[in-house]
Amino acid sequence: MLVFAISDKGGTGRSVTSSNIVYRRALRGNDVCYLDFDFGSPTAGAIFNVSTAERGTDRGGMHSYLQEKVAEPYRVDVWTSSDRSALRGKPPGAGQLVLLPGDSSGGEFPTVPSVVQQCVRLFLRLDEEFDLCLVDLSAGRSYAADMVLAATARPELAAIPFRWLVYHRWTRQHIIAAAGLVYERRGLLDVGAAHGHDKRRLAEQIRFVRTAVVEPSSPDLSALRSTQLAWLDECNRDLHELAGRNRVGRTAMLGKVPLDPVLQWREQIIVDEDVYASQIANEGTTRAFDDLATKIFDERAWEGL
Amino acid sequence: MLIMGEVHTGLLRNLGELSETECREVLRLTSGEEPRTWQRPLLYAISPDVLTGVDCRLPSSSGARIRGTGTVSHRATIVGGRVLQGSSYTTLLRSDSDQRLPWSHYLAAPGVVEVYGRPRWQDMADGFVTPEPPMDVLNVGAISGRLMGAVQDSARLDRKTPFKTTRTRLRWLFERDDARGDGRPAMRLTLGRDTMRTLRFTGEPTTDVVAFCEDLALHDWLLTTLQTLIQRALIGTAAPAQIAARLSPAIDHLLHLWMPGARVEEPFLPFWEELERHPGFTRQWTSSVARIRDQITVNTLSLLSVTESRREADGDPSPRRGVPQDRTQSHSHPVRRRIFFRADQRSRRRS
Repeated sequence: MLVFAISDKGGTGRSVTSSNIVYRRALRGNDVCYLDFDFGSPTAGAIFNVSTAERGTDRGGMHSYLQEKVAEPYRVDVWTSSDRSALRGKPPGAGQLVLLPGDSSGGEFPTVPSVVQQCVRLFLRLDEEFDLCLVDLSAGRSYAADMVLAATARPELAAIPFRWLVYHRWTRQHIIAAAGLVYERRGLLDVGAAHGHDKRRLAEQIRFVRTAVVEPSSPDLSALRSTQLAWLDECNRDLHELAGRNRVGRTAMLGKVPLDPVLQWREQIIVDEDVYASQIANEGTTRAFDDLATKIFDERAWEGL
Repeated sequence: MLIMGEVHTGLLRNLGELSETECREVLRLTSGEEPRTWQRPLLYAISPDVLTGVDCRLPSSSGARIRGTGTVSHRATIVGGRVLQGSSYTTLLRSDSDQRLPWSHYLAAPGVVEVYGRPRWQDMADGFVTPEPPMDVLNVGAISGRLMGAVQDSARLDRKTPFKTTRTRLRWLFERDDARGDGRPAMRLTLGRDTMRTLRFTGEPTTDVVAFCEDLALHDWLLTTLQTLIQRALIGTAAPAQIAARLSPAIDHLLHLWMPGARVEEPFLPFWEELERHPGFTRQWTSSVARIRDQITVNTLSLLSVTESRREADGDPSPRRGVPQDRTQSHSHPVRRRIFFRADQRSRRRS
């Protein structure tokens, strides 16, 4: 399966949440691969603590492959290449966890037919090997998003299911932006339809993920004054109402990730050690990642709206 | 003189096995030339050899700038209508000229790359087997990969994979017997950290060397894939039904393909014999297959015992068809008793 991760604005936690989802799936025995399609800033290696691909690679990454400068894209096996001891060494029963980094010196490049064809080839090739390929796109409307919309509309990829995750923070601006990215003119649905996707069917493959969510009922907020809590509660209600109106409401949502200080300070994979041994991360965060990792494959979460 | 090549092996992107006719259609890479097929002992289909012209820097461990011009041969093979191999190879020979000749000269000797200057064969051989050679040197593996892609993209295939597998790459290097003499063994197979394997061996050069390398790559891939399936099945911790389900792709698609040396010509059989002695390919295969079959048997027995205990709980004392009366007393049977115990343990653990 192909999963495309996108957000309208930067700083939503798209990459870090996506990385944690693939990590969780790998732990459950799936072969997973993470493709860095954030062409302007290929830094996915940093999340997996792979120093050799921290800012992309110079040995033929995604940019070079899609522009047919190399025959095979450079791949990093996270279980053997990560500098972080908690990620090094494949746990028993776990599947492959592979990162396909971008080029260190790469930038955005326009979508020409040969690039789309190469992208189709790449997805077919990876589907042979991986249960889940998560494609991390950059924030906003990009050439990369255009390219994958064009590629997934091609008949060669008809047998490979795909899904879209649109990340947004739980704020007014982010809700409006996320809705715009999907539904407005030149949004995902529009561009997809132009490439030959059926608009209604494409919409069924798109779900929203709320990040850095603060629940007014959370015990973490018990220190707040009652006036502050009341205000938060009201804001939250307004946001729900706004999200519903913008078709970003509960039915279109796949899951939400609570605000976690660890992720605010450092984009990283949250391993059990962070939750139970050093206790720097919250259990709720890993539960949210697990929930997302389950729902991505759960047909019930993707039934027609 | 050196012969170098790389074989990529992977599962064909098609749910079912291909028939001989379908293999022929998929492998018709060039017009005018037909793929060759064999029915015994297993369905083999080999595409005609295709050439890729190269004029580039050649591998070197010392980093010397050696250049060569010529062609690389490549061909695709489908084994058992199920496994695809992309194989490319070339023979490096010293060029009599110090500049590039017309292409007709190189096309007259297909699959030969002529090396300019005075080649240092040992240096080139070492450079070829390094895991990450410079980006601008001749990469025969890229040709194999591209060939695999071309076959996998065939419209004849349904583009659905029965189960996920990783491609393996065997980079091989064949030197003439007299090129060495340093006392090292005649053959050395190294399994890299990832899916790359390297094979260096010496002997009298013939074209059959390619068939041997393809055969070795096929069996190495079969072993690798089987081992991965076994590892993922979590034998000993997962429930028998789950283990059986995870192992079933091996039974459906792989177990019947093991026939080392079936297509290897006489001069190369000793190499297979050596590999069978050490590390013992078939030894590992046989023990893995036995393990898989045992797991399936255990699952079958546990299913039977569950059915039986249900029957007893329902108060149905009738003996089952085909089972002698005295054997229906399941609790007196040591194997069954143990399985009952395991099943109980598991259900407790799960709850």
